[in-house]
Amino acid sequence: MVHTEPVITDGNDRTWLQTEDRSPTVRLRANPHYWDRLRGPHLQEVEFRNDLTREQAIDLVCDTVGKVDIVTEVPPSAADRVLRSRHAQLVAVDAVRALAGVIDREAEGLPLHDLRARRALNLAIDRDGLIRDAFGGRARPLAGLTPPTPLTTMHRAPDRLRPYPHDPDKAAQLWRAAGGTARPLRLAAMDAWADVAHLVAKQLGTALNLQVEVSVLRGEQQREARRRLAAKEPRDWDVLLLEQGSQTADVPPLELHRAFAGRSGEFRAGPVDPRFERLFGYLVAQTSQAKQILAANRIDRYVTRQALALFLAAPQVLYAVNRDVKFVPYATSFELADTSVSSGHWSVR
Amino acid sequence: MSLLQQLAGRVRREPRGTVRVVDPNPLNWLYITYNTVEEAVRVTKGGKVRPAAMSRYRWRDDRTLEITVRDGERFADGTRLDADSVHQAFDEQIRWAAPHPPGTHFNIDRRTRAEVVDDRTVRLHLPEVDGLTLGKLRATHVMSERFWRDLGFGYARDQSGEGHW
Repeated sequence: MVHTEPVITDGNDRTWLQTEDRSPTVRLRANPHYWDRLRGPHLQEVEFRNDLTREQAIDLVCDTVGKVDIVTEVPPSAADRVLRSRHAQLVAVDAVRALAGVIDREAEGLPLHDLRARRALNLAIDRDGLIRDAFGGRARPLAGLTPPTPLTTMHRAPDRLRPYPHDPDKAAQLWRAAGGTARPLRLAAMDAWADVAHLVAKQLGTALNLQVEVSVLRGEQQREARRRLAAKEPRDWDVLLLEQGSQTADVPPLELHRAFAGRSGEFRAGPVDPRFERLFGYLVAQTSQAKQILAANRIDRYVTRQALALFLAAPQVLYAVNRDVKFVPYATSFELADTSVSSGHWSVR
Repeated sequence: MSLLQQLAGRVRREPRGTVRVVDPNPLNWLYITYNTVEEAVRVTKGGKVRPAAMSRYRWRDDRTLEITVRDGERFADGTRLDADSVHQAFDEQIRWAAPHPPGTHFNIDRRTRAEVVDDRTVRLHLPEVDGLTLGKLRATHVMSERFWRDLGFGYARDQSGEGHW
Protein backbone atom coordinates (compact mmCIF):
# COMPACT_ATOMS: atom_id res chain seq x y z
CA MET A 1 0.00 0.00 0.00
CA VAL A 2 1.28 3.44 -0.88
CA HIS A 3 -0.16 6.45 0.91
CA THR A 4 0.35 9.86 -0.55
CA GLU A 5 0.14 13.39 0.74
CA PRO A 6 -0.29 16.27 -1.68
CA VAL A 7 1.98 19.27 -1.30
CA ILE A 8 1.34 22.43 -3.27
CA THR A 9 4.57 23.52 -4.93
CA ASP A 10 3.37 26.51 -6.89
CA GLY A 11 -0.12 27.74 -7.65
CA ASN A 12 -2.25 24.69 -8.32
CA ASP A 13 0.71 22.48 -9.09
CA ARG A 14 1.52 19.93 -6.49
CA THR A 15 3.79 17.06 -5.71
CA TRP A 16 3.32 14.03 -3.53
CA LEU A 17 5.01 12.59 -0.52
CA GLN A 18 4.79 8.86 -0.21
CA THR A 19 4.80 6.46 2.66
CA GLU A 20 4.83 2.75 2.16
CA ASP A 21 3.19 -0.04 4.04
CA ARG A 22 4.70 -3.18 2.55
CA SER A 23 3.39 -6.68 3.06
CA PRO A 24 6.08 -9.23 4.05
CA THR A 25 6.15 -10.68 0.55
CA VAL A 26 4.79 -9.92 -2.90
CA ARG A 27 4.73 -12.64 -5.54
CA LEU A 28 4.56 -12.05 -9.28
CA ARG A 29 3.74 -14.95 -11.59
CA ALA A 30 4.73 -15.01 -15.24
CA ASN A 31 2.18 -14.24 -17.94
CA PRO A 32 3.17 -16.92 -20.47
CA HIS A 33 1.12 -15.19 -23.19
CA TYR A 34 2.89 -11.84 -22.98
CA TRP A 35 3.13 -10.42 -26.48
CA ASP A 36 6.80 -9.41 -26.46
CA ARG A 37 8.29 -12.85 -26.94
CA LEU A 38 11.84 -11.64 -27.25
CA ARG A 39 11.74 -9.69 -24.03
CA GLY A 40 10.22 -12.26 -21.72
CA PRO A 41 9.18 -13.21 -19.18
CA HIS A 42 11.92 -15.76 -18.63
CA LEU A 43 11.17 -16.36 -14.96
CA GLN A 44 8.21 -18.33 -13.67
CA GLU A 45 7.95 -16.40 -10.43
CA VAL A 46 9.44 -13.41 -8.67
CA GLU A 47 9.09 -13.04 -4.94
CA PHE A 48 9.77 -9.67 -3.35
CA ARG A 49 10.84 -10.10 0.25
CA ASN A 50 10.12 -7.15 2.52
CA ASP A 51 10.90 -8.96 5.76
CA LEU A 52 14.65 -8.30 5.61
CA THR A 53 16.83 -5.28 6.08
CA ARG A 54 19.22 -4.47 3.28
CA GLU A 55 22.16 -5.59 5.41
CA GLN A 56 20.50 -8.94 6.19
CA ALA A 57 19.70 -9.39 2.52
CA ILE A 58 23.28 -8.73 1.44
CA ASP A 59 24.50 -11.30 3.96
CA LEU A 60 22.01 -13.86 2.66
CA VAL A 61 22.75 -13.36 -1.04
CA CYS A 62 26.48 -13.54 -0.34
CA ASP A 63 26.54 -16.48 2.04
CA THR A 64 23.53 -18.66 1.21
CA VAL A 65 21.61 -20.08 -1.72
CA GLY A 66 17.84 -19.93 -2.15
CA LYS A 67 16.98 -17.24 0.39
CA VAL A 68 17.75 -14.10 -1.58
CA ASP A 69 18.76 -13.86 -5.26
CA ILE A 70 18.89 -10.14 -5.96
CA VAL A 71 19.50 -7.18 -3.64
CA THR A 72 19.09 -3.76 -5.17
CA GLU A 73 20.64 -0.46 -4.05
CA VAL A 74 23.80 -2.03 -2.66
CA PRO A 75 25.84 0.77 -1.08
CA PRO A 76 29.36 1.24 -2.48
CA SER A 77 30.73 0.39 0.96
CA ALA A 78 29.34 -3.15 0.58
CA ALA A 79 30.63 -3.69 -2.97
CA ASP A 80 33.81 -5.47 -1.90
CA ARG A 81 31.83 -7.73 0.41
CA VAL A 82 29.78 -8.87 -2.60
CA LEU A 83 32.84 -9.24 -4.83
CA ARG A 84 34.50 -11.50 -2.26
CA SER A 85 31.43 -13.63 -1.71
CA ARG A 86 31.08 -17.23 -2.78
CA HIS A 87 27.54 -17.08 -4.12
CA ALA A 88 26.96 -13.54 -5.37
CA GLN A 89 28.18 -11.35 -8.19
CA LEU A 90 28.20 -7.58 -8.30
CA VAL A 91 26.24 -6.02 -11.16
CA ALA A 92 26.65 -2.30 -11.80
CA VAL A 93 24.84 0.03 -14.18
CA ASP A 94 25.46 3.63 -15.16
CA ALA A 95 22.07 4.86 -14.07
CA VAL A 96 20.21 8.03 -14.97
CA ARG A 97 20.58 9.38 -11.45
CA ALA A 98 22.14 12.55 -10.13
CA LEU A 99 23.46 13.18 -6.64
CA ALA A 100 23.46 16.93 -6.17
CA GLY A 101 23.00 19.58 -3.57
CA VAL A 102 19.93 21.79 -3.52
CA ILE A 103 21.24 25.31 -2.86
CA ASP A 104 18.95 27.57 -0.88
CA ARG A 105 19.21 30.78 -2.85
CA GLU A 106 17.18 32.55 -0.16
CA ALA A 107 19.38 31.56 2.77
CA GLU A 108 19.72 34.37 5.30
CA GLY A 109 23.25 35.30 6.28
CA LEU A 110 24.86 33.57 3.31
CA PRO A 111 25.37 35.00 -0.18
CA LEU A 112 23.87 32.02 -2.00
CA HIS A 113 21.64 34.30 -4.06
CA ASP A 114 24.90 35.45 -5.65
CA LEU A 115 26.12 33.47 -8.64
CA ARG A 116 29.73 33.91 -7.49
CA ALA A 117 29.00 32.16 -4.22
CA ARG A 118 27.24 29.24 -5.91
CA ARG A 119 30.12 28.85 -8.33
CA ALA A 120 32.52 28.98 -5.39
CA LEU A 121 30.75 26.01 -3.82
CA ASN A 122 31.10 24.04 -7.04
CA LEU A 123 34.75 24.99 -7.55
CA ALA A 124 35.54 23.88 -3.99
CA ILE A 125 34.55 20.28 -4.69
CA ASP A 126 37.15 17.68 -5.63
CA ARG A 127 34.81 15.32 -7.48
CA ASP A 128 37.49 12.78 -8.36
CA GLY A 129 38.51 12.55 -4.71
CA LEU A 130 34.91 12.32 -3.64
CA ILE A 131 34.21 9.50 -6.06
CA ARG A 132 37.33 7.66 -4.99
CA ASP A 133 36.73 8.02 -1.26
CA ALA A 134 32.93 7.84 -0.96
CA PHE A 135 32.00 5.63 -3.90
CA GLY A 136 35.05 3.41 -4.29
CA GLY A 137 35.24 4.74 -7.84
CA ARG A 138 31.70 3.58 -8.65
CA ALA A 139 30.33 6.91 -9.80
CA ARG A 140 30.99 9.53 -12.47
CA PRO A 141 31.57 13.20 -11.89
CA LEU A 142 28.50 15.27 -12.57
CA ALA A 143 28.62 18.14 -15.03
CA GLY A 144 25.25 19.80 -14.97
CA LEU A 145 22.36 17.56 -14.01
CA THR A 146 22.38 15.15 -16.96
CA PRO A 147 24.07 11.95 -15.80
CA PRO A 148 26.59 10.61 -18.32
CA THR A 149 25.18 7.39 -19.78
CA PRO A 150 25.42 6.00 -23.31
CA LEU A 151 21.94 7.33 -24.10
CA THR A 152 22.60 10.83 -22.80
CA THR A 153 25.79 11.27 -24.80
CA MET A 154 23.95 13.28 -27.42
CA HIS A 155 22.29 15.48 -24.82
CA ARG A 156 25.70 16.38 -23.49
CA ALA A 157 27.57 16.53 -26.79
CA PRO A 158 26.96 20.03 -28.17
CA ASP A 159 29.45 22.30 -26.45
CA ARG A 160 30.15 19.36 -24.20
CA LEU A 161 29.81 20.20 -20.54
CA ARG A 162 32.67 19.47 -18.21
CA PRO A 163 32.41 19.30 -14.44
CA TYR A 164 33.46 22.37 -12.51
CA PRO A 165 37.20 21.97 -11.96
CA HIS A 166 38.55 21.62 -8.46
CA ASP A 167 40.01 25.09 -7.97
CA PRO A 168 40.05 26.01 -4.27
CA ASP A 169 41.91 29.28 -4.83
CA LYS A 170 39.38 30.54 -7.34
CA ALA A 171 36.59 29.26 -5.09
CA ALA A 172 37.91 31.23 -2.11
CA GLN A 173 38.30 34.35 -4.23
CA LEU A 174 34.72 34.14 -5.52
CA TRP A 175 33.34 33.37 -2.06
CA ARG A 176 35.06 36.44 -0.59
CA ALA A 177 33.91 38.60 -3.51
CA ALA A 178 30.33 37.51 -2.88
CA GLY A 179 30.60 38.65 0.72
CA GLY A 180 31.67 35.51 2.52
CA THR A 181 29.76 34.56 5.61
CA ALA A 182 29.38 35.44 9.22
CA ARG A 183 27.88 32.12 10.18
CA PRO A 184 28.46 28.43 9.47
CA LEU A 185 27.00 26.83 6.37
CA ARG A 186 24.40 24.19 7.23
CA LEU A 187 24.79 21.12 5.06
CA ALA A 188 22.03 18.53 5.32
CA ALA A 189 21.95 15.16 3.64
CA MET A 190 19.63 12.24 3.27
CA ASP A 191 20.78 9.30 5.35
CA ALA A 192 22.16 7.33 2.40
CA TRP A 193 24.62 10.12 1.62
CA ALA A 194 26.00 10.78 5.10
CA ASP A 195 29.55 9.80 4.10
CA VAL A 196 29.39 12.06 1.06
CA ALA A 197 28.12 14.93 3.20
CA HIS A 198 31.05 14.72 5.60
CA LEU A 199 33.56 14.69 2.73
CA VAL A 200 31.81 17.59 0.99
CA ALA A 201 31.77 19.53 4.27
CA LYS A 202 35.49 19.00 4.66
CA GLN A 203 36.19 20.14 1.12
CA LEU A 204 33.99 23.23 1.41
CA GLY A 205 35.46 24.10 4.80
CA THR A 206 39.02 23.79 3.59
CA ALA A 207 38.59 25.65 0.32
CA LEU A 208 36.37 28.47 1.55
CA ASN A 209 37.77 28.76 5.08
CA LEU A 210 34.26 28.13 6.25
CA GLN A 211 32.69 26.30 9.14
CA VAL A 212 30.26 23.68 7.86
CA GLU A 213 27.71 22.01 10.11
CA VAL A 214 26.49 18.64 8.86
CA SER A 215 23.13 17.17 9.70
CA VAL A 216 22.04 13.75 8.49
CA LEU A 217 18.30 13.31 7.97
CA ARG A 218 16.79 9.96 8.88
CA GLY A 219 13.33 8.45 8.66
CA GLU A 220 10.60 11.01 9.21
CA GLN A 221 13.14 13.85 9.06
CA GLN A 222 13.71 13.08 5.38
CA ARG A 223 10.03 13.19 4.60
CA GLU A 224 9.58 16.43 6.51
CA ALA A 225 12.55 18.04 4.75
CA ARG A 226 11.11 17.05 1.39
CA ARG A 227 7.68 18.35 2.37
CA ARG A 228 8.99 21.73 3.49
CA LEU A 229 11.14 22.04 0.40
CA ALA A 230 8.29 21.12 -1.96
CA ALA A 231 5.91 23.50 -0.17
CA LYS A 232 8.54 26.27 -0.26
CA GLU A 233 8.40 26.67 3.51
CA PRO A 234 11.37 28.03 5.49
CA ARG A 235 14.26 25.59 5.60
CA ASP A 236 16.79 24.81 8.30
CA TRP A 237 19.64 24.02 5.93
CA ASP A 238 21.57 25.91 3.26
CA VAL A 239 22.54 22.99 1.06
CA LEU A 240 20.64 19.69 0.99
CA LEU A 241 22.24 16.64 -0.65
CA LEU A 242 19.82 14.28 -2.33
CA GLU A 243 19.60 11.90 -5.24
CA GLN A 244 17.11 12.22 -8.06
CA GLY A 245 16.58 9.62 -10.75
CA SER A 246 14.79 9.58 -14.05
CA GLN A 247 12.33 7.03 -15.45
CA THR A 248 13.45 7.72 -19.01
CA ALA A 249 16.65 8.98 -20.58
CA ASP A 250 15.13 10.72 -23.59
CA VAL A 251 14.60 14.13 -22.01
CA PRO A 252 16.51 14.39 -18.70
CA PRO A 253 15.28 17.92 -17.83
CA LEU A 254 11.73 16.60 -17.44
CA GLU A 255 12.64 14.78 -14.23
CA LEU A 256 15.97 16.28 -13.19
CA HIS A 257 16.49 19.94 -14.11
CA ARG A 258 12.82 20.79 -13.63
CA ALA A 259 12.87 19.27 -10.15
CA PHE A 260 15.86 21.36 -9.04
CA ALA A 261 15.16 24.61 -10.85
CA GLY A 262 11.66 24.63 -12.32
CA ARG A 263 8.70 26.71 -11.17
CA SER A 264 6.89 23.63 -9.91
CA GLY A 265 10.08 21.76 -9.12
CA GLU A 266 9.95 19.79 -5.89
CA PHE A 267 13.52 20.78 -5.00
CA ARG A 268 13.61 24.40 -6.11
CA ALA A 269 14.87 26.50 -3.19
CA GLY A 270 14.80 30.08 -4.32
CA PRO A 271 12.92 32.37 -6.62
CA VAL A 272 11.51 31.20 -9.94
CA ASP A 273 14.09 31.71 -12.68
CA PRO A 274 12.34 33.25 -15.72
CA ARG A 275 15.17 32.32 -18.08
CA PHE A 276 14.95 28.67 -17.00
CA GLU A 277 11.19 28.75 -17.51
CA ARG A 278 11.62 30.08 -21.05
CA LEU A 279 14.18 27.39 -21.87
CA PHE A 280 11.96 24.68 -20.44
CA GLY A 281 8.96 26.05 -22.30
CA TYR A 282 10.94 25.88 -25.52
CA LEU A 283 11.80 22.24 -24.77
CA VAL A 284 8.14 21.36 -24.18
CA ALA A 285 7.21 22.98 -27.50
CA GLN A 286 9.43 20.59 -29.49
CA THR A 287 7.94 17.40 -30.92
CA SER A 288 11.10 16.48 -32.82
CA GLN A 289 13.47 14.29 -30.78
CA ALA A 290 16.53 15.98 -32.29
CA LYS A 291 15.26 19.39 -31.26
CA GLN A 292 14.44 18.09 -27.80
CA ILE A 293 18.02 16.92 -27.39
CA LEU A 294 19.36 20.33 -28.37
CA ALA A 295 16.89 22.07 -26.06
CA ALA A 296 17.83 19.74 -23.20
CA ASN A 297 21.48 20.52 -23.78
CA ARG A 298 20.75 24.24 -23.63
CA ILE A 299 18.96 23.79 -20.31
CA ASP A 300 21.82 21.74 -18.88
CA ARG A 301 24.35 24.38 -19.86
CA TYR A 302 22.23 27.15 -18.34
CA VAL A 303 21.70 25.32 -15.05
CA THR A 304 25.44 24.66 -14.88
CA ARG A 305 26.52 28.20 -15.71
CA GLN A 306 24.11 29.57 -13.12
CA ALA A 307 25.27 26.95 -10.61
CA LEU A 308 21.67 26.26 -9.71
CA ALA A 309 22.78 23.19 -7.76
CA LEU A 310 25.90 21.74 -6.20
CA PHE A 311 26.81 19.19 -8.84
CA LEU A 312 28.47 16.16 -7.31
CA ALA A 313 28.26 12.71 -8.93
CA ALA A 314 26.21 10.25 -10.90
CA PRO A 315 26.43 7.10 -8.76
CA GLN A 316 26.31 3.69 -10.37
CA VAL A 317 23.47 1.55 -9.12
CA LEU A 318 24.83 -1.68 -7.65
CA TYR A 319 23.11 -5.04 -7.32
CA ALA A 320 24.18 -8.15 -5.48
CA VAL A 321 22.99 -11.06 -7.60
CA ASN A 322 23.16 -14.81 -7.18
CA ARG A 323 25.72 -16.23 -9.61
CA ASP A 324 23.12 -18.41 -11.34
CA VAL A 325 20.83 -15.46 -12.09
CA LYS A 326 21.33 -13.66 -15.39
CA PHE A 327 20.20 -10.24 -14.33
CA VAL A 328 19.85 -7.45 -16.89
CA PRO A 329 20.05 -4.03 -15.20
CA TYR A 330 18.23 -1.01 -16.59
CA ALA A 331 19.57 2.54 -16.44
CA THR A 332 16.27 3.93 -15.19
CA SER A 333 14.18 1.43 -13.27
CA PHE A 334 14.23 -2.08 -11.82
CA GLU A 335 12.88 -4.46 -14.45
CA LEU A 336 12.88 -8.25 -14.46
CA ALA A 337 11.33 -9.23 -17.79
CA ASP A 338 14.75 -9.93 -19.33
CA THR A 339 16.15 -11.72 -16.30
CA SER A 340 16.55 -15.50 -16.33
CA VAL A 341 18.21 -18.27 -14.34
CA SER A 342 20.78 -20.81 -15.47
CA SER A 343 20.36 -24.55 -15.04
CA GLY A 344 22.44 -24.45 -11.86
CA HIS A 345 19.98 -22.17 -10.06
CA TRP A 346 18.46 -23.58 -6.87
CA SER A 347 14.90 -23.19 -8.16
CA VAL A 348 15.40 -25.38 -11.26
CA ARG A 349 17.94 -27.93 -10.10
CA MET B 1 14.57 -24.64 -31.19
CA SER B 2 16.91 -22.89 -33.57
CA LEU B 3 18.71 -19.70 -32.77
CA LEU B 4 16.93 -18.14 -35.71
CA GLN B 5 13.56 -19.10 -34.25
CA GLN B 6 14.51 -17.67 -30.90
CA LEU B 7 15.69 -14.44 -32.48
CA ALA B 8 12.47 -14.20 -34.43
CA GLY B 9 10.54 -14.74 -31.23
CA ARG B 10 8.37 -17.35 -32.88
CA VAL B 11 9.09 -19.99 -30.26
CA ARG B 12 8.80 -18.98 -26.67
CA ARG B 13 10.88 -20.67 -24.03
CA GLU B 14 8.76 -21.57 -21.08
CA PRO B 15 9.35 -19.26 -18.12
CA ARG B 16 11.24 -21.15 -15.47
CA GLY B 17 12.68 -20.62 -12.03
CA THR B 18 11.99 -18.34 -9.11
CA VAL B 19 14.06 -15.42 -7.90
CA ARG B 20 13.75 -13.79 -4.52
CA VAL B 21 14.33 -10.06 -4.48
CA VAL B 22 14.99 -7.52 -1.76
CA ASP B 23 14.46 -4.04 -3.12
CA PRO B 24 14.76 -1.27 -0.53
CA ASN B 25 14.19 1.44 -3.11
CA PRO B 26 11.20 3.61 -2.08
CA LEU B 27 9.98 3.34 -5.66
CA ASN B 28 9.66 -0.44 -5.34
CA TRP B 29 5.87 -0.12 -5.72
CA LEU B 30 6.45 1.62 -9.06
CA TYR B 31 8.90 -1.02 -10.24
CA ILE B 32 6.39 -3.74 -9.40
CA THR B 33 3.86 -1.76 -11.41
CA TYR B 34 6.22 -1.53 -14.37
CA ASN B 35 6.78 -5.28 -14.14
CA THR B 36 3.09 -6.13 -14.18
CA VAL B 37 1.10 -3.65 -16.28
CA GLU B 38 0.81 -2.76 -19.93
CA GLU B 39 1.85 0.68 -21.10
CA ALA B 40 1.72 2.45 -24.41
CA VAL B 41 5.48 2.90 -24.12
CA ARG B 42 8.24 1.40 -22.04
CA VAL B 43 11.98 1.99 -21.91
CA THR B 44 14.94 0.05 -23.21
CA LYS B 45 17.78 -1.05 -20.95
CA GLY B 46 19.47 2.26 -21.62
CA GLY B 47 16.32 4.20 -20.77
CA LYS B 48 15.09 5.13 -24.23
CA VAL B 49 11.33 5.33 -24.69
CA ARG B 50 10.02 2.87 -27.25
CA PRO B 51 6.57 1.67 -28.27
CA ALA B 52 5.11 -1.19 -26.21
CA ALA B 53 1.33 -1.64 -26.17
CA MET B 54 1.25 0.78 -29.07
CA SER B 55 2.94 -0.37 -32.24
CA ARG B 56 3.57 3.14 -33.53
CA TYR B 57 2.73 6.79 -33.06
CA ARG B 58 2.81 9.98 -35.03
CA TRP B 59 2.19 13.64 -34.43
CA ARG B 60 -0.66 14.58 -36.80
CA ASP B 61 0.03 18.18 -35.86
CA ASP B 62 1.79 19.69 -32.87
CA ARG B 63 -1.27 19.17 -30.65
CA THR B 64 -2.52 15.79 -31.83
CA LEU B 65 -0.69 12.58 -30.97
CA GLU B 66 -2.02 9.53 -32.77
CA ILE B 67 -1.38 6.15 -31.18
CA THR B 68 -1.82 2.83 -32.98
CA VAL B 69 -2.40 -0.06 -30.60
CA ARG B 70 -0.63 -3.34 -31.29
CA ASP B 71 -2.79 -5.84 -33.14
CA GLY B 72 -4.14 -8.84 -31.25
CA GLU B 73 -2.71 -7.92 -27.88
CA ARG B 74 -4.32 -9.28 -24.73
CA PHE B 75 -4.06 -8.55 -21.03
CA ALA B 76 -2.86 -11.18 -18.60
CA ASP B 77 -6.50 -12.02 -17.82
CA GLY B 78 -7.09 -12.88 -21.47
CA THR B 79 -9.23 -9.88 -22.39
CA ARG B 80 -8.41 -7.73 -25.39
CA LEU B 81 -6.21 -4.68 -25.24
CA ASP B 82 -7.52 -2.25 -27.84
CA ALA B 83 -8.08 1.44 -28.43
CA ASP B 84 -10.81 1.52 -25.80
CA SER B 85 -8.31 0.21 -23.22
CA VAL B 86 -5.96 3.12 -23.92
CA HIS B 87 -8.88 5.54 -23.85
CA GLN B 88 -10.01 4.19 -20.48
CA ALA B 89 -6.49 4.34 -19.04
CA PHE B 90 -6.27 7.93 -20.14
CA ASP B 91 -9.67 8.87 -18.71
CA GLU B 92 -8.94 7.14 -15.39
CA GLN B 93 -5.68 9.04 -15.10
CA ILE B 94 -6.89 12.44 -16.19
CA ARG B 95 -9.63 12.67 -13.56
CA TRP B 96 -7.10 12.54 -10.78
CA ALA B 97 -5.71 15.81 -9.51
CA ALA B 98 -2.22 14.33 -9.60
CA PRO B 99 -2.10 10.70 -10.65
CA HIS B 100 1.63 10.09 -10.28
CA PRO B 101 3.00 9.94 -6.73
CA PRO B 102 6.67 10.45 -7.72
CA GLY B 103 5.86 13.98 -8.84
CA THR B 104 3.98 16.08 -11.33
CA HIS B 105 6.45 15.76 -14.19
CA PHE B 106 4.45 12.96 -15.88
CA ASN B 107 1.15 14.82 -15.70
CA ILE B 108 -0.54 15.30 -19.05
CA ASP B 109 -2.61 18.47 -19.31
CA ARG B 110 -6.02 17.68 -17.83
CA ARG B 111 -7.75 19.51 -20.66
CA THR B 112 -6.47 16.83 -23.05
CA ARG B 113 -9.18 14.78 -24.78
CA ALA B 114 -8.75 11.19 -25.96
CA GLU B 115 -10.62 10.16 -29.11
CA VAL B 116 -11.07 6.56 -30.24
CA VAL B 117 -10.81 6.62 -34.02
CA ASP B 118 -11.16 2.89 -34.60
CA ASP B 119 -10.40 -0.39 -32.87
CA ARG B 120 -6.67 0.26 -32.86
CA THR B 121 -6.31 4.02 -33.10
CA VAL B 122 -6.50 6.65 -30.37
CA ARG B 123 -5.81 10.33 -30.78
CA LEU B 124 -4.81 12.57 -27.91
CA HIS B 125 -5.95 16.14 -28.54
CA LEU B 126 -3.75 18.40 -26.43
CA PRO B 127 -4.81 21.94 -25.59
CA GLU B 128 -1.23 23.13 -26.04
CA VAL B 129 1.80 21.65 -27.68
CA ASP B 130 3.61 19.24 -25.34
CA GLY B 131 6.42 17.37 -27.04
CA LEU B 132 7.15 15.50 -23.83
CA THR B 133 3.84 13.65 -23.97
CA LEU B 134 5.39 10.53 -25.44
CA GLY B 135 7.68 10.09 -22.41
CA LYS B 136 4.81 10.91 -20.07
CA LEU B 137 2.91 7.93 -21.47
CA ARG B 138 5.44 5.84 -19.53
CA ALA B 139 3.25 6.54 -16.53
CA THR B 140 -0.08 5.89 -18.24
CA HIS B 141 -0.76 2.34 -17.16
CA VAL B 142 -3.07 0.49 -19.54
CA MET B 143 -5.08 -2.06 -17.60
CA SER B 144 -7.94 -4.45 -18.17
CA GLU B 145 -11.58 -3.60 -17.55
CA ARG B 146 -11.53 -5.92 -14.54
CA PHE B 147 -8.63 -4.04 -12.98
CA TRP B 148 -10.34 -0.68 -13.25
CA ARG B 149 -13.58 -2.15 -11.93
CA ASP B 150 -12.11 -3.98 -8.92
CA LEU B 151 -8.97 -2.04 -7.98
CA GLY B 152 -8.26 1.01 -10.09
CA PHE B 153 -5.18 2.00 -8.06
CA GLY B 154 -7.46 2.35 -5.06
CA TYR B 155 -9.79 4.81 -6.73
CA ALA B 156 -12.74 2.42 -6.63
CA ARG B 157 -12.01 1.59 -3.01
CA ASP B 158 -11.37 5.09 -1.67
CA GLN B 159 -13.57 7.15 -3.99
CA SER B 160 -10.71 9.58 -3.96
CA GLY B 161 -8.51 11.02 -6.63
CA GLU B 162 -5.60 11.53 -4.31
CA GLY B 163 -3.47 8.77 -5.69
CA HIS B 164 -3.81 6.06 -3.05
CA TRP B 165 -3.24 2.49 -3.94
